[in-house]
Amino acid sequence: MTCIALGRAIGRGVSAAAITASLISAPAFGAPVDLNKWSPEYVRSIAGTEEFDTAADCGKVTPLDYKGRLTFWYQGVFEGDPDLLRQYYKDFFEAFRKTYPNIELEEQALTYNDLLDKFRTALLGNAGPMVVRLQILGGVEFASKGYLQELKPEDVGYSTDDFWPGAMKSDIWEGKTYGIPTNNETMAFIWNADVFKRAGLDPEKAPATWDDVVKYSKQIHDKLGIAGYGLVARKNAGNTPYRFMPQLWGYGGGVFDEATESPTYKQVELNSPASKQALQASYDMYVRDKSVPVSALTNQQADNQPLFLAGQLGMMISHPSDYNVMLDLQKKATGGDQAKAQTVIDNMRYGLIPTGPDGRRAVVFGGSNIHILKPEYVDGGKVDEAAAKALICFWASPEWSLKMAYAGSNPGNLNGFKTKWMKERLDNIKFLDVTTSMLPYGVPFPALPETPEIMNIVIPDMLQNALTGAMTVDEAAEDAAKKVEEIMGGGKL
Amino acid sequence: MTAVGSPADSACRKNVQRTGILRQAWINRSDYLYVLPSIGVMLVVIAYPIYYTIELSFFNTPPSLQLRDKIFVGLDNYGLILQSNVFWRVTLNTIIWTVASTFFAFFLGLGAALALHREFFGRGVLRAILIIPWVISAVAASYIWKWIYHSDFGVIGAVLVGLGLADRPPNFIDNVNTVLPSLIVVNVWREFPFAMIMLMAGLQTVPDQLLRAATVDGAGPWQRFWHVTFPHLKGVSTVTILLLAVANFNSFIIPWIMTGGGPSNASHIWITHIYELAFGRQRWGVASAYSVLLFLIVMTFGYFYVRALSGSERKARG
Repeated sequence: MTCIALGRAIGRGVSAAAITASLISAPAFGAPVDLNKWSPEYVRSIAGTEEFDTAADCGKVTPLDYKGRLTFWYQGVFEGDPDLLRQYYKDFFEAFRKTYPNIELEEQALTYNDLLDKFRTALLGNAGPMVVRLQILGGVEFASKGYLQELKPEDVGYSTDDFWPGAMKSDIWEGKTYGIPTNNETMAFIWNADVFKRAGLDPEKAPATWDDVVKYSKQIHDKLGIAGYGLVARKNAGNTPYRFMPQLWGYGGGVFDEATESPTYKQVELNSPASKQALQASYDMYVRDKSVPVSALTNQQADNQPLFLAGQLGMMISHPSDYNVMLDLQKKATGGDQAKAQTVIDNMRYGLIPTGPDGRRAVVFGGSNIHILKPEYVDGGKVDEAAAKALICFWASPEWSLKMAYAGSNPGNLNGFKTKWMKERLDNIKFLDVTTSMLPYGVPFPALPETPEIMNIVIPDMLQNALTGAMTVDEAAEDAAKKVEEIMGGGKL
Repeated sequence: MTAVGSPADSACRKNVQRTGILRQAWINRSDYLYVLPSIGVMLVVIAYPIYYTIELSFFNTPPSLQLRDKIFVGLDNYGLILQSNVFWRVTLNTIIWTVASTFFAFFLGLGAALALHREFFGRGVLRAILIIPWVISAVAASYIWKWIYHSDFGVIGAVLVGLGLADRPPNFIDNVNTVLPSLIVVNVWREFPFAMIMLMAGLQTVPDQLLRAATVDGAGPWQRFWHVTFPHLKGVSTVTILLLAVANFNSFIIPWIMTGGGPSNASHIWITHIYELAFGRQRWGVASAYSVLLFLIVMTFGYFYVRALSGSERKARG
């Protein structure tokens, strides 16, 4: 039984790898989009150079007077997002209803950590929505199970070349495309210059390597008695892989070979010396130096934000949106806390994510994709395809894929960078150019159905086992590698 | 109509007992017709899920396959569970969680019930205050306690550090050794009012004249409690303990919200582990096998619960 499942898994892994390899070209994963040219200067040069009429474009896909009904679930805003983003989500649904007044839209927002569980459960009862917007690591799982309809950018009036190749990869299973990217992101490194200065560090310089992060974190903690680095190791929380994988890849490790130019996902690398080194760095900060928040095992990034704003945390991996989140939190603070928060905001600095010992720099190429379900898995057994395509065209348009990613991400549709809102965004969102500069270092999660389990359960488990002392670093890495092998072999515990 | 308890009624019952179950059903067919809709609903919402869970426990369900494409593996899932280190860890956690929560909730409830049984000024207000933990949402309570326990900026830590009693906040829920006891405290806090209410009701049944007679005979407070009050509470205590034990065995909200079973599985109990296996990892087959085992254990509790109830009823009838 295991052999059959293993064979199938390997077969699928190989086919996924072949597809991946065909999509990837040096230097990052970039044909036909050359990520090397996506420097802050290039982004500034194209911003505001083109006008787009979303209603007119989508009217060609689904007539604007079309009458229909649509159910839609999406990963919406959560407590860690800025208020600005909330407003854009509100504006989006108002604009869609105004453009398509005869489409009865029933939308439901779910948080990142709840969406997969709820969606999986609904599908078991054939009670899914007609359209779903999932986190980037979710699409392949549902495509491989046959829940999703084939859907490519051309189906809603766009070209595949309008989207990041790395993002498109997360929509492809066994050579077929099952979704369209709505937004894509790479995070950056954020630090408090005042904390750095008081700890005797250069306030204008981010740590260059992950080894420096360990040293800086200890120095900040020893000198100021506050947490140095904002480690996150909660289980079942997307924040954990988004923060640990850049470290793992930076040291030269990985779950498989996903950080290489042509990944094959054949060999499990979690127990490689480089992966163990990355885990050791987390261990050193949490256990040896006690220089990170103790609550890292039960907390997520949203819990680190108030710590940072209160001046109790020196540095962390972050979205560009964190600057706006800090502004929102500062407005809500009272009395002396408000002034203290303002000092932190004035001292916020963004930089590139540190490299590993050999200069390797990496960040998760994140984002979300939008998909249409097959009718048999939808509540009511029908999918209104015209209505579904209208919504997808609207969301993936240059205008809305930019606006819906305004504060925390980047537009999935590359034409979004050419809109006037991008120009406005560059002026309003501080540090946006830094996170854009991280794009060439983006590494997509493995395009495998097993990825959500590996990223949300196995990786946090490995961290927790090492950080709590339940296992040594070596044992935790070996245990995690064994679990991934078992998962890829088709099951077990 | 024959009077209940008369010799004729007794003879009739003996006669019925001698006949088969089907014959009894036929004799009472009109009664069954009345309860048929309820039985139908129970079959759909209870019997079918139980059957389906048992069936699913014999299948492997890898993440790349839909449930309908599940692979038959016989008893492999049960074997996997018993060979897994996590199973034994989670089982030990479940036993500690259930026994400790039940024990402390019961005795704290008993103490509160005895204290509130006596007349004193403000008794009503105090009773209302003590019921609060039981009536507030478990989800809200979990978030509040998570904040109270927080290892970096929790209320307890801030107070201890502020008073100079500790250098840094104590680590309650991010430590494998302290997380389970910390969660048990929250659970006991939430459950003891239930035991208190049950036992207060039980205390109403203790005859005053017996207590007075015991006092006249020179019995002290402890002797009065042990020889008069406690025997009268035996029935309600058994039922309360069984209900608490079943509720604790199936308790999900507090451990899941506060720690998600972590860190390093140190606060995973069966029910949270089953949830993670099914919904987080899509191991529906293994999760179902766990559920079948859990079902058998809870049914054992249920058997004793029904026996305890029947015993109380028989005692009440004399």
